[in-house]
Amino acid sequence: MTRFRTVDLLVTVTIGAAFGVAFLGYGQLYTLIGPLTTAFKPAEGLLAGVWFLPALLAALIVRKPGAALLAEMIAAVLSMLLGSQWGWGTAISGLMQGGGVELAFLLFRYRRFTLPVAILGGLFSAVLEWGWEKFAYYQEMSWAFSFAMLGFFLLSGALLCGVLGWAATRALAATGALDAMPVGRERAQQARATATGSAAHSAPTAKDDARA
Amino acid sequence: MSALSLGGLTWHPYSRSEPTLHHLDLEIPAGQRVLLAGASGSGKSTVLRALAGLLDEETGELIGTAPGPSRPGERGLLLQNPTDALVAATVGREAAFGPENAALRREEIQARVTAALEAALVDLDADRAPLEASGGQQQRLALAGSLALEPSALLLDEPTSMLDEDTASAVRASILAAAQGRTLVVAEHRLTPWLEHVDRLVVLGAQGRIIADGPPRETVAALVGDPAAPAGQHAAGPAGPVVAALHAVSAERGGRPVLEGVDLALRGGELTVITGPSGSGKTTLLRTLLGLTAPTAGSVERPEPAQIAFVPQNPEHSFVASSVRAEVLASPWASDEQLADLLLERAGLTALAGANPHTLSGGEQRRLAIIAALAQEPSLLVLDEPTVGLDTARHAAVLELLEGARREGRAILAATHDAVLIAHADREHALAGPAVRSAQRSPSPDRTIGPVPRSRTIPADALNPLVLCLIGILAAIGSFAVQTWQGGLLALLPIVLLAPLAIRSLRGGLLRLAPILLSAAGLAWTTALLGDAPSLSGEAWLLGAKEAARITVFVAPGVLALGSVDPTALGDALGGRLRAPARVVAASVAGLIRAGHLGRQWEIITHARMLRGLGSRTSPRMLAGATLALLVDALRGAQQQALAMDSRGFATARTRTWALPSPLRRADLLGVAIALGLAVWPWLAQLLVG
Repeated sequence: MTRFRTVDLLVTVTIGAAFGVAFLGYGQLYTLIGPLTTAFKPAEGLLAGVWFLPALLAALIVRKPGAALLAEMIAAVLSMLLGSQWGWGTAISGLMQGGGVELAFLLFRYRRFTLPVAILGGLFSAVLEWGWEKFAYYQEMSWAFSFAMLGFFLLSGALLCGVLGWAATRALAATGALDAMPVGRERAQQARATATGSAAHSAPTAKDDARA
Repeated sequence: MSALSLGGLTWHPYSRSEPTLHHLDLEIPAGQRVLLAGASGSGKSTVLRALAGLLDEETGELIGTAPGPSRPGERGLLLQNPTDALVAATVGREAAFGPENAALRREEIQARVTAALEAALVDLDADRAPLEASGGQQQRLALAGSLALEPSALLLDEPTSMLDEDTASAVRASILAAAQGRTLVVAEHRLTPWLEHVDRLVVLGAQGRIIADGPPRETVAALVGDPAAPAGQHAAGPAGPVVAALHAVSAERGGRPVLEGVDLALRGGELTVITGPSGSGKTTLLRTLLGLTAPTAGSVERPEPAQIAFVPQNPEHSFVASSVRAEVLASPWASDEQLADLLLERAGLTALAGANPHTLSGGEQRRLAIIAALAQEPSLLVLDEPTVGLDTARHAAVLELLEGARREGRAILAATHDAVLIAHADREHALAGPAVRSAQRSPSPDRTIGPVPRSRTIPADALNPLVLCLIGILAAIGSFAVQTWQGGLLALLPIVLLAPLAIRSLRGGLLRLAPILLSAAGLAWTTALLGDAPSLSGEAWLLGAKEAARITVFVAPGVLALGSVDPTALGDALGGRLRAPARVVAASVAGLIRAGHLGRQWEIITHARMLRGLGSRTSPRMLAGATLALLVDALRGAQQQALAMDSRGFATARTRTWALPSPLRRADLLGVAIALGLAVWPWLAQLLVG
């Protein structure tokens, strides 16, 4: 099951590209809240989790080794090509963020795709990304503030990446857009199980027309 | 040439409760031309996939036999929406994708591309961007993409349903010409235009059961009527007051004038249609009326926002709720629950009130989007291609909803190329095709595969993408030598001197550099404020200045050099030169190229939401919802694209060739020297200043 079908590759790449585009908007959010974060830079860590989302979504949707890393790298490379303010630092960030999520799922041998593992992925990404940013961008920040920043990173990684990403995957599966993927299949089977359970006594009605 | 056959085929996708095909036997002798008909959901698309050998047993259970192609690309598959099939940045590379997957040599690839583009009558130069081409040109290009692998069978899934009448017949002619000497299977709703060109008509019922099969004329006569225009008996009532109007409006799209001096008055109780070939400005007219595009001249008169409702071409772009009923009431301007239930009843969606809107069929989604718009009780209803791709029954249901809205006295404006809807309209406003477009078509187009054209060539473009990457990476490493503000300033010197070689235009350069300088300033401030030195002391500021210089040295060379890296050339370098895993590289390049397309979808999605009164561009809820909608759209597209790519031999392309070489020239030696220099110089500079 580790072989990447064409659809796995494209879904992974597409998640990366979609976030690469959406990140242009989120990047503007950083500028918008600039006046707030210049007063206390570590608070910017609260936004960090959003950047790890492509990795987590790809892992939860495609469920194959390497998907998280590839999606995050595509998002990173796309923002680099479009002129991200962090230049080649973006690529390293992509590596750290994708690698963190990848690591969490690797620990569970790509067999568990539950909320706790998703949160763990967000936390790993947060630690790695914080380490990189401390080294590359905030060398001169005092350790007290740096650790405050780590705290914000972890919080954001758990909530904005872990919880939000997990919820987004469920919302996506509910749309039927993931029916070719394991997560979509699972959702459909569950939905069918509850439907046959609750509608056991009602006569079967004509199926609707065109779900092809 | 080979025959196609399906033997006792049952296909049960794991995500469905019922099989989509049930025990289907279908034999198609080599060279036969078959028209495949049947209502939406009867399994036509699945049959085509089965014939193409593309049913994926990871997603469903397959019983019976569906022998696949004998070699990659032996069976070409064309999809309903040609945009889904596009993978490349230029017309030439698009046609070359299949031959690359078949690992052909470069000369052979060029020969195949030339022949395929000729055969499919693609009238664009090889360096044009496929995603910018019109729907008709895209479908011809998709056809060329299949022909480049010299298929023995062509399988077409409603290839003309998204095109206007004239374009459709031109594309049909291209398809029929290209199908000479091949097996042809076409799935279609509109049978008439194909009937005289095919040998056999197969009509599918539920679950792909064959309900009629025989010579086209006799078989079609046995059916209950081809989708002729449903008799639209419409007694024209007295026209209502003018609800919205354009007065001598001119407008541009992408800097190109598309509308000139348009006058249009929309009255209550009237259905007005805007017609014209693609590119004639239908969309721009709708956008101008809705207030999304400002006219360059003239004036627009429109009701207040709550009185305007808009239904986008893809209904999913406007969906926000997790149930059908909630969707009808999602707009803050739609609060009447009784009306919502009445509308659900009218659209035949009552039984689905609890379902997720995205899981509905195409026809159901269209009706839902329309009643969600009507729930606003708008005085002006605007629709973009409201009937495209629907079969007869679903088409009639949409017309009925519009008819109801007209009786209620609403002004309705639809952009359309559907003859039936046009016949239903009170007024038609025909836009002429632009004169500019014909100039872009070449009578004898250039077929030579070349690099992606640039707006203006700069010295940095001469370098191999790998060398451009090396410059950025080594410069970033060098930046860590910066220890003092003096060293930082010295380290910046060569970057400032070299920057003009990598800046394409003043504006573009500023756009690229501004974020860097802003974030450098931000870092200086943060360091001065939160560093180990006393906050905002002179010492702290010097430390901040050093950090700002260091981060600029770190980032700027990479950002500037990356301005000359284009995804296609990067793919050629990574795949062709570095031998990175071919499928991953090719899929990534396709994804990066489609990013621009995603950006456009993002615009459409956010606009559709804003027009429903669901929030501004910066509200987090709106951003989250729009992101989800973009992902749904992109993921559906990715699955279609995977099909299109696999039909062009991508599934097995573990070793593939690349249509263009990724040369390392003399200039690249200089590039490497610059990269090494940028890595070493900051250390020297630091030594110099002590």
